[in-house]
Amino acid sequence: MEKFEFNKAERDHIEKIIARYPDSQSAVMPVLWMAQEKFGHVEPDVQKLVAKTLDLPEAHVYGVASFYTQYYKEKMGKYVLDVCTCLSCQVCGGYDMLHYIEEKLGIKAGETTEDGMFSIQSVECLGACGYAPMMQITNDIYVNHLDKAKVDKVIETLKQGKMPEFEPIPMRVAEKS
Amino acid sequence: MPEIFIDDQRFEFEGNPKVLQFVLDQGLELPFFCYHPSLSIPANCRQCFVEAGTPVFNRETNSYELDENGDRVIRWFPKLMTSCSLEATDGMVIKTHRSSEKVARGQKDTLEFILINHPLDCPICDQAGECPLQIQTYKYGPEGSRFEHKKVHKPKRVQLGPNVVLDAERCINCTRCVRFTDEISKSKQLSIVSRGDKNYPLTAPGTEFDDPYSLNTVDICPVGALTSTDFRFKARVWEMNQTPGIDMTGSKGTNIDLWVRNNLVMRITPRYNPDVNDHWMPDEARKDYRRINENRISRPSIKLDGEQVKTSWNNAMLTFNEETGKVKPSEILVIGSPHASVEDNYVLSKFFNRLGVSDVHFANDIEKGRGDDFLITDDRAPNANGCRFLGFTEHDPAALGKAVSASGVKMVVILGDDLIGRGAFPAEAVQGKFTVFMGTNNCDTSNAANLVVPITCSAEHAASYINEAGRIQRTIPAKETVYTSRRLNLEMSLGRLDHFATKFDNWESDDNKVDCIPAWEFLIRLVQETGGDLTYTSSREIMDEIASAIDTFSGVSFERMDDEYGIPLKKENQPQGKTV
Ligand code: SF4
Ligand code: FES
Ligand code: FES
Repeated sequence: MEKFEFNKAERDHIEKIIARYPDSQSAVMPVLWMAQEKFGHVEPDVQKLVAKTLDLPEAHVYGVASFYTQYYKEKMGKYVLDVCTCLSCQVCGGYDMLHYIEEKLGIKAGETTEDGMFSIQSVECLGACGYAPMMQITNDIYVNHLDKAKVDKVIETLKQGKMPEFEPIPMRVAEKS
Repeated sequence: MPEIFIDDQRFEFEGNPKVLQFVLDQGLELPFFCYHPSLSIPANCRQCFVEAGTPVFNRETNSYELDENGDRVIRWFPKLMTSCSLEATDGMVIKTHRSSEKVARGQKDTLEFILINHPLDCPICDQAGECPLQIQTYKYGPEGSRFEHKKVHKPKRVQLGPNVVLDAERCINCTRCVRFTDEISKSKQLSIVSRGDKNYPLTAPGTEFDDPYSLNTVDICPVGALTSTDFRFKARVWEMNQTPGIDMTGSKGTNIDLWVRNNLVMRITPRYNPDVNDHWMPDEARKDYRRINENRISRPSIKLDGEQVKTSWNNAMLTFNEETGKVKPSEILVIGSPHASVEDNYVLSKFFNRLGVSDVHFANDIEKGRGDDFLITDDRAPNANGCRFLGFTEHDPAALGKAVSASGVKMVVILGDDLIGRGAFPAEAVQGKFTVFMGTNNCDTSNAANLVVPITCSAEHAASYINEAGRIQRTIPAKETVYTSRRLNLEMSLGRLDHFATKFDNWESDDNKVDCIPAWEFLIRLVQETGGDLTYTSSREIMDEIASAIDTFSGVSFERMDDEYGIPLKKENQPQGKTV
């Protein structure tokens, strides 16, 4: 089994994070992030490390980690497709998109392709309801206004090892009255 | 004094009560789930809604503003308020479902939401019959659901730890269980995991819910999400009767309820006592029902050719009187018991005083390191203080063993304490000495005894026990013996089955009634046999005599114990027991 540890520099940084809050419990989220950036995931052993470092109950850290789909509780594929199936996206076809992607990649939400390229997650609202249906890729770029053609294109791009381009979001300027 | 108006009725209050608790304290009903008087208040279930408002105070005139009818102008909170978290303030006006359509509607709609994903499995759910969700839905909920989609499925039958099973689908996420482990037992082993309609309480991966107080979460879970591994599917709530008692597995004096069906104790749950155990009890102590049900001594027995042979009560009394007649008082060693009641111990000492035996001994039952700072004690006996306050001589088990082995001792009388089983002395120590064991369960000591007298246990008699803090509390019989009847003893509870059962129903039998009597009763029968004058008809009467005879107990009575959550015996009256 891999052993997970923070080095001295990281521990110093964590001290600084803790100092920003009234108690160490509040530092759970940034420290989980740090851990995920370092190890690529926050598997139970990493959660344990975070709990030990912050002197918190393991159950609490697990509770926080499991709340957010953005924390990966197991090893994920290179690209994680977080397809929003929350209310707005759902009514605009979020599930159609999810199922299309599932079929295309031959895996279900919560699974990873055998080549380790893709994971799919069905996630809650990502705050882009105006551009529904949408997905986020590996906690990074948002792909909005999804349709099948767009999904095909995005997956092609990712297969070539490139992230899709950032889409500037059209701002609707309130009309002057 | 500050005042508050609830449904147009005026109440006065002191301090800073929360509205929900205050309403409940007035004996009024308000539905709620997540609130618990001993835990923090998260206000997450939203079931305790009320309308609330405060009177408008005019600083200039320094008085309340009045409307055209001369009534105070009330500024209402714009939304329904959760009464559990709302602090009462002077002049506050509260409307509950009794006077507000809006509140009644709010309660109904909240319930409809809570029930969206809740399974309809009450017929097979252990909580049914004592389920706040079931009761409140019945009283305040909607008649049906407008939700026609598939319910969310979550894990079922999750063994959270050795004693607790989780059915996540039933959970309404009130967080009472989580708050219990965070705030009361402090193991912090539970947390709500996942998100939205998928969440439920769980332990961290790779850990189990082995908190020594884990079963309290089953008690406070307002639905059937948490159930006891041991009690699951054993009995329906309405089949049992419920009787208050005292825990016998330690010296804390934890208040308990015994749940009995067909004269078997099916489960033990904690009973509220603000001065002793609040709402809680340790898991271990709940297993004590087995001692009450199983392996009981029924009918007296005597040892013939090394074998215990059942005999009649008459023969037991004859044998006892015959044997005491054969020895000098100084040759009898009388051993009382920290596991037996004050009344039994008192009559034991009184009986032998009459015969000229002045000293009664007892061995403490202490396991160093067993206790914690909460409800588990090093002392494994419920009544060591009872023995001390009666002036018995206290020994370590080994020291008592020496006294037993002494050559001058020809007869040993032991009250309800498996001294051989707990290693005070080996069975050989009593060989050749006539040994009488008055006990509840078959054990090494009953095996070694020449005469075994079956006596009632804490679940079968009314008797008092004094906890480590010097508080005297009493039990009420929960389980019938061959000689008692719940229909005649008005102190005993009658459950539905007891009410309606006849001898010919298959849910009621005599099989679980033990042939035993209280130790004090056996002793006074012995006296009466020889024409003596020791007469008591009840343990209540014995306690009255103790109260008038011994300073420490002055003012003590069953009535007071019942009314006052037990009575702390006055420190200055407590004797320093003789120790050897
Ligand atoms: S398991 Fe019971 S006590 Fe715990 S959160 Fe769910 S409903 Fe509340
Ligand atoms: S519902 Fe999908 S982004 Fe808000
Ligand atoms: S009891 Fe008030 S919100 Fe749950």
